[in-house]
Amino acid sequence: MQTFKRNILAVPILVWIGLLVGIPLVFVFVLSFLSRDSLGNIVIQFTLENYQRVVDPIYLRVFLNSVLLALLTGLVTLVIGYPVAYITANLEPKKRALSIGLIMLPFWISSLLRTYGWMILLGNAGIINNTLLALGVLDRPLSMMYKFSTTLVGTAYMLIPFMIVAIFNSVDKLDRSLLEASYDLGANKRQTFFNITLPLTVPGIAGGFTLVFIPALGLFYVSDLLGGGNTIFLGNLINTQVTRGRNRPLAAAFSIAMIIVALLVISLYGKIAKDDREGLFQ
Amino acid sequence: MKQPLLSLIDINKYFGDVHVLKDVSFTIEQGEFLTLLGPSGCGKTTLLRCIAGLESVHSGDILLHGTSIKGIAPHKRNVNTVFQNYALFPHLNVYDNIAYGPRVKKSMKDAELKEKVSGVLDLVQMLGYEKRMPHQLSGGQRQRIAIARALINEPAILLLDEPLGALDLKLRKHMQTELAHLQKKTGTTFVYVTHDQEEALNMSDRIVVIDQGTVQQLGSPRDIYNNPNNLFVTTFIGDRNIMQVEVIETGETHSQVRVGDNTVSIRNPKQHRLESGQEAFLAIHMDKMRVSCDETPNALKGEVLSIHYAGSQIRIELQVDAKVITVVEYQKTDCECEEGDLVYLVWEDHGAILLPLEDYSVEREV
Repeated sequence: MQTFKRNILAVPILVWIGLLVGIPLVFVFVLSFLSRDSLGNIVIQFTLENYQRVVDPIYLRVFLNSVLLALLTGLVTLVIGYPVAYITANLEPKKRALSIGLIMLPFWISSLLRTYGWMILLGNAGIINNTLLALGVLDRPLSMMYKFSTTLVGTAYMLIPFMIVAIFNSVDKLDRSLLEASYDLGANKRQTFFNITLPLTVPGIAGGFTLVFIPALGLFYVSDLLGGGNTIFLGNLINTQVTRGRNRPLAAAFSIAMIIVALLVISLYGKIAKDDREGLFQ
Repeated sequence: MKQPLLSLIDINKYFGDVHVLKDVSFTIEQGEFLTLLGPSGCGKTTLLRCIAGLESVHSGDILLHGTSIKGIAPHKRNVNTVFQNYALFPHLNVYDNIAYGPRVKKSMKDAELKEKVSGVLDLVQMLGYEKRMPHQLSGGQRQRIAIARALINEPAILLLDEPLGALDLKLRKHMQTELAHLQKKTGTTFVYVTHDQEEALNMSDRIVVIDQGTVQQLGSPRDIYNNPNNLFVTTFIGDRNIMQVEVIETGETHSQVRVGDNTVSIRNPKQHRLESGQEAFLAIHMDKMRVSCDETPNALKGEVLSIHYAGSQIRIELQVDAKVITVVEYQKTDCECEEGDLVYLVWEDHGAILLPLEDYSVEREV
């Protein structure tokens, strides 16, 4: 009875998740095993063909592109985000609030709009090229758009706040007396960072990586706008299969494959951060 | 003249506008157990951190072996700290925690390191715990590992910041004995911070009483206990009855003072001179007093207000003149008194002392 009373409070949220996440997920899962006719209508007929196509070399390439993009995004955001998070966590309270505010500020503006912003910045007639041309540094515009790296820049930009905040929390709750103990025992700042700070903020890094990796796997408008469709990623593929390709079962199979990759990353995170009592899952 | 191990010379330290250490000067001798004793917020921990190099000083100098270590980074000072919360590295096991110092300084070969770690673990009676993680240890065990981790570096001074504060009473008593023992065994100079007078009196060779950033008194536990040189030390150390009295006649060692209708002879303070006709404070340790039924010379006459039996001790409250006096006795007295009885209060001579009134201006509860 006691447990029942305690659990009753969880019912609304369970219904909510069940309706909006659980049922659609089951729907996608079932769909991934179905066929379609030439007009794109779903035919209730069991098939594994969709999954066979997922591992088809052409599509596998797309899959690897996405995983590569997500991994690189994680790496780039980590390398840039760690120092930002570390410095922010060590600021005095007022400056720290300002810094966090600035990091969060982009969320107030539509991400689509911000992606267009990057086009204005990086385009052939964009701000960077125009400035460099006017200064005489370049004699013809630098081609910075529609590349894999352009997509990487856009994705990393979009997701870096998650990395920063995750690492910030980790650095912030680091016990300062541990650093003092390290200095006291004869370690210099560099040794203290690599021996104490870095290992103790691994849960934050893993959390940030998970928060960045998973959305990076599925973002499609960034690569559409900045990558110009030159490199196809999972998100684009699923999007086109649903809208133009009229192959919803195949899109469903790709979605399931993507979820599996995401789950793998999350379980990896769970292993790394299992001792961390304030991790993402607590 | 023998050079002191560490000299603090006119140390001043501010946190913003707050003057936390005011012209602190004293020396620490090789091999002694020195305690910095004071209420919380008195600046004792800050002083310890200044010696460790974790805080900078605004003015003054710190000499270690006669050489200034002011401005030298903590990792280059030959002093080690045992932190209040132990600050064991949670991701390293006991062995790696202890080996941390020698490893970052690259001061030992692996074989030597292994031997040294075993050595210090043996010293703190923790052999066999090398593979344990800090969270698998009890408070007392962590304490020992923190000490071992500091001692392996063979510091000139071991700084201990209220290391027993987090332990329960029984363990604390046990560790007090053990720490004092360890200090004698290793011959390491200990500088120990505590707010617990009993701890300080128990373990120290010398005590520095600090209040409001100023050294109030420095001396042996016995000296501090029996001969406080101002009102703060008098109220902070030991439980005393304090009364305002009138000095009638001053002598070489004792003075005649008047308390209400009584005239008694009390020891003079060591560092102050009293004048006849002056008002002064009389401070008597509660547990150095005794109730007597018979009229005795050099006694205070008082009326029994209440008697409390508290286990091994008996607390008796008496009205003397206009003041309520508490007497703590550890065995049943020969004087069977009851509430309302008129009795005589006597005391051991060294348990009572006179103090000048001058620092009464310092606002403090008497």
